[in-house]
Amino acid sequence: MDWTRILLSRCAALFRSKKLDADLDEELRAHIDLATEENRGRGMNEQQARTAALRAFGGVTQISETYRVQRGLPWFEQAARDIRYAARQLRKSPGFAVTAILTLGLGIGAATSVFSVVNAVLLKPFAFYEPDRLVVMREAVEDEASSDWSSSPDNYRHFLRLKNDSKTLEDAAIFEQRGMSVSPTGDHPRIVGAVVASPNLFRLLGVEPTLGRGFAESDAQKGADNVVVLSYEGWQALFAGDRRVVGQTLRIGGQPTTVIGVLPRGLRFPQIALAPKIEFQEGARDALLYQPLAPSERDLNADMGNFNYKVIARLKPGVTLSQANAELEALQKGYTLSAHLPIHLGIALTPLAKDVTGGVSGALWLLFAAVGAVLLIACVNLANLQLARAVNAEGETAVRAALGASRGQLVRSRLTESVVLALAGGAAGAALAFGGVRLLLALAPADIPRLDEVRVSLPVLAFSAGLSIAAAIVFGMLPALRSLRVAPQAALKANQTRAANTQEGQRTRSLMVAAQVACTVVLLIVMSLALRSFSHLMRQNRGFDSSHVTLAQVDLFAPQYGDFSGNMKAVKLSFTDRALASLNQLPGVQSVALTSVAPLTGETWVDNVSRPDHPVPPEQEPRINVRWVNPEYLPTMQIPLISGRNIAAADRANPYVVLISERTAREAFAGEDPVGKQIDPLVPDDKHPMTVIGVVADTRINGLKDTAAMVYVPYWAFTPWTLSFMVRSSRPSDALIGEMRRAIWQIDPQVAIPTLKPMDDQVSGSVAADRFQAIVLSGFGAAALSLALLGVYGVLTYSVTLRRREFGIRIALGSGKSALTGLVLRQAAQPVLLGTGAGLAMALIALRWVRSLLYQTPVMDPLAVGGSILLLLVAAAIAAIVPARRAASTDPIRALRME
Amino acid sequence: MPECKSEVLQGTLDLMVLKTLESMGPLHGYGIARRIEQVSGNTVSLNQGTIYPALLRLEQRGWVKAEWGTSETGRRAKFYLLTPSGRKQIEQETENWERVAATMARFLAPTN
Repeated sequence: MDWTRILLSRCAALFRSKKLDADLDEELRAHIDLATEENRGRGMNEQQARTAALRAFGGVTQISETYRVQRGLPWFEQAARDIRYAARQLRKSPGFAVTAILTLGLGIGAATSVFSVVNAVLLKPFAFYEPDRLVVMREAVEDEASSDWSSSPDNYRHFLRLKNDSKTLEDAAIFEQRGMSVSPTGDHPRIVGAVVASPNLFRLLGVEPTLGRGFAESDAQKGADNVVVLSYEGWQALFAGDRRVVGQTLRIGGQPTTVIGVLPRGLRFPQIALAPKIEFQEGARDALLYQPLAPSERDLNADMGNFNYKVIARLKPGVTLSQANAELEALQKGYTLSAHLPIHLGIALTPLAKDVTGGVSGALWLLFAAVGAVLLIACVNLANLQLARAVNAEGETAVRAALGASRGQLVRSRLTESVVLALAGGAAGAALAFGGVRLLLALAPADIPRLDEVRVSLPVLAFSAGLSIAAAIVFGMLPALRSLRVAPQAALKANQTRAANTQEGQRTRSLMVAAQVACTVVLLIVMSLALRSFSHLMRQNRGFDSSHVTLAQVDLFAPQYGDFSGNMKAVKLSFTDRALASLNQLPGVQSVALTSVAPLTGETWVDNVSRPDHPVPPEQEPRINVRWVNPEYLPTMQIPLISGRNIAAADRANPYVVLISERTAREAFAGEDPVGKQIDPLVPDDKHPMTVIGVVADTRINGLKDTAAMVYVPYWAFTPWTLSFMVRSSRPSDALIGEMRRAIWQIDPQVAIPTLKPMDDQVSGSVAADRFQAIVLSGFGAAALSLALLGVYGVLTYSVTLRRREFGIRIALGSGKSALTGLVLRQAAQPVLLGTGAGLAMALIALRWVRSLLYQTPVMDPLAVGGSILLLLVAAAIAAIVPARRAASTDPIRALRME
Repeated sequence: MPECKSEVLQGTLDLMVLKTLESMGPLHGYGIARRIEQVSGNTVSLNQGTIYPALLRLEQRGWVKAEWGTSETGRRAKFYLLTPSGRKQIEQETENWERVAATMARFLAPTN
């Protein structure tokens, strides 16, 4: 290609320009010499011959110039010259350059880090085939009294019917996510995350195993061999990536299970909630195993109850969510009628991405907005600095203009400086982003979905680069355009300092300070609200005491403990009794509590309270959480008994007694004394009614944000497979943890202990998301505040320097120091107050979106709002006092002599 | 003597240079300039210097090559020679030029 050759030759010329210039000189000299010689041959004397040769040649200088332009890349050389000039200018004021690059780098770095998280969690599609068509399908149940629909997990029978009848769904898979006990090498078992799904799950997701095969329908038949498909992570963790894994055996829940396949790397099955507000702790692990779901008799026949499953479905191409919703809704309504169900069924479809990230998207977007505001403040700061520089350089600009620099050249040289700064800041920002992402991951709560996919990636870096260029244009344009309006004569004629401090420049800078202050006020208010909300969450009365308590979670997932079908009650019961006794023997132990679910892990074992003496429709029965506990539960957790009595050893013979929390009492026995009343059976596969023997105080045992409606039943009535022992001891947890593990494994080395830690850690872990939000927002608030301070300080210092002559005259004329200080402070107060007002107004609008992220904190919390404004004003005053004092201490003689 | 010199048309200089090199073989810049003046019978007003940007242009396109040598009078000078692709270019340019000239001639022919 012609142009490539030309471009190459031109580029090559850039690097050899000295040699080529010498060549050209030599060539032209030769030309003149040859011509001179020929002319002399025609009889001219030396002088005449040379003059004639030069005349015939034309202008040597013009020709060389044309030649050079033709040879090189003039725009490139121009740009290089601009960049060299800008770099020289920046080197001349290193303070400005470093501040600018750091400010911009920090802003861009923070924005990129947060965007990396937002990208991975909210924006990046799942690694499934056409993930946009995947939906999470839940059933909905109508509360007749309020005609509210609440979504619930799926019933297997209903799922089968919907899957067969629907014309809008291409396919649907039913599954559960839970923890499973795995012992790869015959060691103590460990609990890993597992998905137990109908065999069509992989086909529905569009996922092919990289090794072996996926599930066949026959794998889910009764009596089929135990098979398992491993995720890539599971393959690595359990078989160290052995390529001959297919066909090997793994003990899962004590059962030998054959590995039939391995899934591709990077494929992660998201955590899907059973229903909003209902979580299973076992689910909160990465899925390492996939097993086929073989439906039980109950699954196939029960229409009521057994709402235990999650369903993921794929819409047919072109079908919208609302079309599918309408069709399935109609199918559910029809079935409610034809099968004469006592409840009203509906449907609730959510797009997969929204379902998985719905809980955190608000908080993440808030962080993103906050970091955007910080970046904005940083840019305004830089614009201000740049503007001040442009004004400062007016004299120089005027000289350049007078010497014939075109407007374009003037603008370009200012703009180049901005671009150089922006690129340097962008590079610093990208580097900081890598650190920032690590920091965010270290701080972030583990239950943010898809967090393991967060990394600084190409689109994120592109975003960072785009941002830096946009920033360069934004904060370079204003000063660049400004320098155009300077009339050279005026600037040259006038004293430089006087010309610079025009009213107009002052106003622009003040407006920018006001804008910064406004953004900072909003950020400070959001930060204080997050802090207030978090401190409220931590300091409110929880109703239980977690200090000096150590938690051990024990899972009895082994064949000797059986399942629902087997009658293994006695084995579980005996293990539990022995564990309690042996934990009680440990030195320093005051009491040992047992409960079926570790505290602060959300709502689990959700059931309804129904009263034989006071029946209500099923959907109006109060929803409660059942916990299987021992008599020491109340004293160990220090939960007070309000009325009636605690469970006693004597109840073992007839364990059908329950303690209820105050909230349960309010909801199920409004205005009555519940003690002595009967409620319907709660024990699985047992029709024995229960008697209320006591009411205990409300606690926030399932999560600090809400008091729970609880029903406590002695573990003698039913011993669950998941046990949480809580040991209250005067000795520190560190010492206890090892002893507790030994004590439990002495009884049975084949049980898993997935959790063993101080109860205080469990509490603080449960509010990790709120803490993350509070910490990160505080960081942004602090950054915004310091940037705004820098802005106020910088602008004031600059204007004081410019007005030194004026201050000198004022002092010479008898103005007092305090009057001068006041003058400067008043000048500072104007934009700060203006900005604060604007910030408050912005906050009023913006805070509407923050409300849902706060815990029992009004958005116009007076302490948060007042405190933020006070903080800002005090800080601004401190930033202003330094330049004000400098103004007041101006030496009039020196200031006037400066002229 | 009333002189009637025409300006060199844009683009025609390149062809003149190429053609000169074709007929004369390797030549230095001054030689090329002189040859063009002679062939045109001094009807072309040419600042001899403008030959150099033109030569550079041709060199960048790969139609001519340059190397240092010695002139007939013993002066070190840069000589230009035609490359094979330069030869091809002459054919193409000549064809173009003839077409343009023919077209112009038709316009300028006396109408009857």
